[in-house]
Amino acid sequence: MFEYILSALSPLNVIFALFGVAAGTIIGSIPGLTATMAVAVLVPITFSLAPESALILLGAIYTGAIYGGAYAAILLNTPGTPSAIATTFDGYPMAKRGDGDLAVSVACLASVVGGLVGALALLLLAPPLAKAALAFGPVEYFWLAIFGLSLIAALSTGDFLKGMIGAGLGILIAMIGISETSAEVRYTFGSQTLLGGVEVVSALIGLYCVPVLIDLVAKPERHLQEAEGTRGFRLPEAISVMMREKFNVARSSLIGTLVGALPGAGGSIAGLVAYSEARRVGKGDTPYGEGNPGGIVATESANNATVGGGFIPTLVLGIPGTPPDAVILGALLVQGVRTGPSLFSAGSDIVYTFMFGLFLATVLMLPVGLLIGRFAYGAIVKAPKSVLVPIVAFMTVIGTYAIRNNLSDVMIMVVLGVIGWVAKRRGFSVSPIVLGLILGRIAEQGFVQSWTIGSAIGDLWGQFFGRPLSMVIIALTCLSFIYPFWPRIRAAMAKDRVRAELAPRADSAAVARDALAIGAMGVVAAGALWLSFDLNPDAGVFPRTIATGMLALCILALILLFLTGRVTEETTEGSWPRRIAVPAVMMGAAFLVPILGFATAGILMGLALIVISQFESQSARAWTIQAVSVAVVILLFSVAFREALSVPLPQGMLY
Amino acid sequence: MKRRTLLLAAAFGAVAGISQAQDFPSGSVDYIIPFGPGGESDITARFQQPHFSELYGEELVISYQPGGGGAVGWSQLNGMAGDGSKIMGINLPHIIVKPHQGDVGFQTEDITAVYMFHYTPDAIVVHADSPYQSLDDLIADAKANPNAVTFSGSGKGTANHLAQVQFDALAGIDTTYVSFQGTGASVTALLGQQVKAAWGYTTVGAAQGDQVRMLAVAMEERHPAFPDVPTFRELGYDMVSGAYRGIAVPNSASEEVRQQVSDAIAKINADPAFQKKMIDGGFALLDVGYGADMDAFMAEKSEGYLTAAREAGVIE
Repeated sequence: MFEYILSALSPLNVIFALFGVAAGTIIGSIPGLTATMAVAVLVPITFSLAPESALILLGAIYTGAIYGGAYAAILLNTPGTPSAIATTFDGYPMAKRGDGDLAVSVACLASVVGGLVGALALLLLAPPLAKAALAFGPVEYFWLAIFGLSLIAALSTGDFLKGMIGAGLGILIAMIGISETSAEVRYTFGSQTLLGGVEVVSALIGLYCVPVLIDLVAKPERHLQEAEGTRGFRLPEAISVMMREKFNVARSSLIGTLVGALPGAGGSIAGLVAYSEARRVGKGDTPYGEGNPGGIVATESANNATVGGGFIPTLVLGIPGTPPDAVILGALLVQGVRTGPSLFSAGSDIVYTFMFGLFLATVLMLPVGLLIGRFAYGAIVKAPKSVLVPIVAFMTVIGTYAIRNNLSDVMIMVVLGVIGWVAKRRGFSVSPIVLGLILGRIAEQGFVQSWTIGSAIGDLWGQFFGRPLSMVIIALTCLSFIYPFWPRIRAAMAKDRVRAELAPRADSAAVARDALAIGAMGVVAAGALWLSFDLNPDAGVFPRTIATGMLALCILALILLFLTGRVTEETTEGSWPRRIAVPAVMMGAAFLVPILGFATAGILMGLALIVISQFESQSARAWTIQAVSVAVVILLFSVAFREALSVPLPQGMLY
Repeated sequence: MKRRTLLLAAAFGAVAGISQAQDFPSGSVDYIIPFGPGGESDITARFQQPHFSELYGEELVISYQPGGGGAVGWSQLNGMAGDGSKIMGINLPHIIVKPHQGDVGFQTEDITAVYMFHYTPDAIVVHADSPYQSLDDLIADAKANPNAVTFSGSGKGTANHLAQVQFDALAGIDTTYVSFQGTGASVTALLGQQVKAAWGYTTVGAAQGDQVRMLAVAMEERHPAFPDVPTFRELGYDMVSGAYRGIAVPNSASEEVRQQVSDAIAKINADPAFQKKMIDGGFALLDVGYGADMDAFMAEKSEGYLTAAREAGVIE
């Protein structure tokens, strides 16, 4: 064992781990650039290097990227990777109130601890954990997805019905395209663009980041509260948060490891489940969802634990736990390493060195992550709005493009951004929609598979509800659904005057607006229901069920609206022309890309956005400085994507 | 730069009357896999990658463009540069069956296949603890309990699914096919004994070793890596099938480029080190190059797959 530690610690490997973590963190912090892509680009290096070193590099990039996703989540309300969705729930509110630096440091510490727990489980418990993961059948995946959805109850306490309706919308969006399991073309309306479905990461970028940009340009205020004076890393505070949340860290790291070991579940579910549990048992001055550091601790320790956890099925069963694992598995096969249980009993130099390399990379993430986090925080807090908006907007465009090298994804991203912004104003928060989008596909596959198997063995009821593991998950789901309402239920049981706390009737204009929004959702549900009758039974059953439920909820919401006259909505002030200009300019750039080239269209978009987001009149010199710096950054990004990451950006006429 | 070279080459070509052999590759070559990583298409591409750079001193850059079971990638293939800098993985039966399932953005004829380099023969795989010791055990159970024998497999209208339908007809049984997203998920269900058997490929047997048992393989001869596993033909079922994989180029590629790409893949296929990796991995090598061979191969396979897909009710 000792020789593996020594070989993992060779100077070359340490350099690789250091470089990998730094590169991964930066890549993960850019929404749209995923660990999968970074790892895939670098696989050929493993052919010319010593295999252990190369694998350490890949593992380090992977770990770094999962952590890097936290920056954009905290500072821009945009999860850099799907794993960081739940980081936005408390991270962004913390950043808004001026605690962004603390949030980034807490995320770093939590990621390191989670990563170490995951790597330890990989080293010591891989074969038994892989066996345990196999007990998860289609029906358990279905219930796990439903468990993830139960978080809606917590995320939309303001208006539970709207949360459920939003989740239905998310699930229906996830049904668009060719179904991977039933091979049926669904809800594409004859458009070839929609055949591949709505890409999850680009949807995340659109739904979370575009509304932030739209609201940012509407008003002259700064993006985030700037701290007074320098406060360093606020490490002592971060450490004391970790000490206070030690049970949270342990529980979330464990959840992350276990969920990571389930092939196909991945970091996003791990983060959501850990967050849900932390929120259920969590205490503290600040409620979860309003900037409680516990939420960041839970998500970040869980998602980094999935790195080690995900390697368990990859190495023991030869079945990749996550997409980056799949790429690394390919690299291992080319090296002639055969995965399987014998890998652990017989021992393999490469694999053990790799595992210690993963430890090394995780430990190195502490200084590297803190430093880069400090830089990211400083850059975003200090940048003037008229520089921040164009650059972030360009990053969303190029990041979305790079996922599938597809311009249509960029347009879908912008459209979803507008939908998300409108929905948010009408009281449909974005997170339930995103949960539906991510968990919808997993839930559907599990549902249809369980249904098929249950019918074959003639015991549908037993298949869905009779399996011990399922029963545990169902119980947890019920608990998670009911918990947010517990105070109200208890108050009702104690015969308090619950009615007293109900909001007063809104004016009739607000009721009409709300009715219109709910009605629009109802129309979507009815349309989806109508179209589902043309699909084959396998492909139609799930969307039909969801659309029916969504329609019923819309009707219920309308009845309640007219009875109680209560309206949840967000009102904002600020400039409408500027708001409308942001998505319009982004969309325009997407159309210009094939003609002018990616960088040129991007620079034009950037310049337009400088004007849109500028509130004070300033000297020609200041304009020039801003214009030049935005153009240079956009150009640098384009060159880096094209040359270093081999993304085939359209060249167009110019560049 | 590239454009100028091309222009010059075109000008010279016009002057000389016969175009001079252009250098292939003129730089790194993008190899697009229209699926996510970790599947058979990805792994074989990774096997090819080092041999390509060894042969040409240029990189083969693999990227993934998943979506719609490959349709997203294939529908964009012809919009890419045809100068030999872009090649894409193709799969049978996907490119034949998909366009018949609806408007998926491409037709089979739109795809310029230049080389088919391997196939993964269909196989029935069971868990090591399964009561089925032989194919006869499975058939006996299926006859006694119609529809109760469950098979996991990757997708619908795929090689796995068509094999299930075809074998049910040959053996006169009724079984239930449970569709999973990709071989990995299908094999996970098998290892967890969520299903009684799996329709997979010989590669599953190679990857899972003694955790699974293959009952039969749909090959003409036994697979060299599994001398003990009988073929379906030996057992009396005339079934030779699987998923075939190859390389396509955009249709704007010149005859010359098509031939050059075809030759490059052929050279890699001829490398003994590459062959060993493929066979150990459970793959079966295949050499169908650009030209008349390819046309004949595609015509024959199209007919077979379309008939099977119609019987399976996947297409009309």
